[in-house]
Amino acid sequence: MEILDSLRVLNYFPLAELEVGQHFYWEIGNFTIHGQVFLTSWFVIALLVVASLAATRNVQKVPRGIQNVMEYALEFIRDLAKNQLGEKEYRPWVPFIGTLFLFIFVSNWSGALLPWKLIHLPEGELAAPTNDINTTVALALLTSLAYFYAGFKKKGLGYFAKYIEPTPVLLPIAILEDFTKPLSLSFRLFGNILADELVVGVLVLLVPLFVPLPVMALGLFTSAIQALVFATLAGAYIHEALEGHGEEGHE
Amino acid sequence: MVSDHVSIKSVLNLEEKMFDFDLTSPLMAGQFLLLVILLNAIFYKPLTKVLEDRNDYILTKEQDGRERLAKAEALAQQYEEQLAGARKQSVEVIANAQTEAKKIADEQIAAAQKEAIAQREQATKEIESQKQAAMQALEQQVETLSSQILAKLGLVT
Repeated sequence: MEILDSLRVLNYFPLAELEVGQHFYWEIGNFTIHGQVFLTSWFVIALLVVASLAATRNVQKVPRGIQNVMEYALEFIRDLAKNQLGEKEYRPWVPFIGTLFLFIFVSNWSGALLPWKLIHLPEGELAAPTNDINTTVALALLTSLAYFYAGFKKKGLGYFAKYIEPTPVLLPIAILEDFTKPLSLSFRLFGNILADELVVGVLVLLVPLFVPLPVMALGLFTSAIQALVFATLAGAYIHEALEGHGEEGHE
Repeated sequence: MVSDHVSIKSVLNLEEKMFDFDLTSPLMAGQFLLLVILLNAIFYKPLTKVLEDRNDYILTKEQDGRERLAKAEALAQQYEEQLAGARKQSVEVIANAQTEAKKIADEQIAAAQKEAIAQREQATKEIESQKQAAMQALEQQVETLSSQILAKLGLVT
């Protein structure tokens, strides 16, 4: 109760303007969805699609402008996937891991750089799609599905052997891992982005000039790192599923 | 939007709403999968192809260039060898020509000397014969003169 009291005290400050946990609900049948998340995610998707189309519209042998940028991004993603999955396996996973990285990165930076809050919604506010737990959980669960798919595709039911290797004693922990992986993935991203936006928001409310700038720069850095971490971990999990526990020695 | 009267209930409510799971999650997942497929078609595939094509292009060009360089070096060596051969040949030709010229010159000098000697001999012979002829003529004249002298003197019968 005391903690809640202190939270209540906190709420006497104009922190409520941050509007954490308020959503712009859309209703589909009996279900609701968070409209503000979709609005910004569509913006992010549109940005990615437009950039891709612009990059591949007029392909040159010597890349210039947007093509050069996107080629740099692609090479970065390919290196990331190659580092995690190895030369042999990485190719089919480049689109998934790459899109994870690009989507999260562009989402985070759009949240940090664009003044979404100038556009007023009836309820809630526009922000990075990744500051909604639904988005990060969706991405984390997709990652889980992806590594299960990778494991089953490679080894069939033999994939389950990794749960009792090297010893069946670790079976509960191995099973637990499958739950902690998406949990940690989603909460890490969600927490970092939301916390960053909150810190910036609070600082802006307290000192509206100059002081929040270093924190904003730090936020940009964190956002980029989080995108990288998410994509790298996804790659590492998929690699683990492909390799299995017992076979690392004889690849 | 300063809310001065946030009750404990609304704080709890806020916690609840921060982790408000609804249809957003599955829809976002589906939307993300569509994005993966779309980007695979318009971004990853074409640009990967571009990168690989360029890689191949550079590799073949590099190999081509290396081959050409090797060929050029071989040609240069060949030409150098030819040049060396030609130089050697030219030295030989010059030496030959010099010896030949010397020979010819020697021959001509010898011939000229021979001729000179022959001409001198001939000239000597001619002088001798003319001298003889002159002597003979002189002797004849002396004889006629002496006979005339004798006749004049009356010594001749």
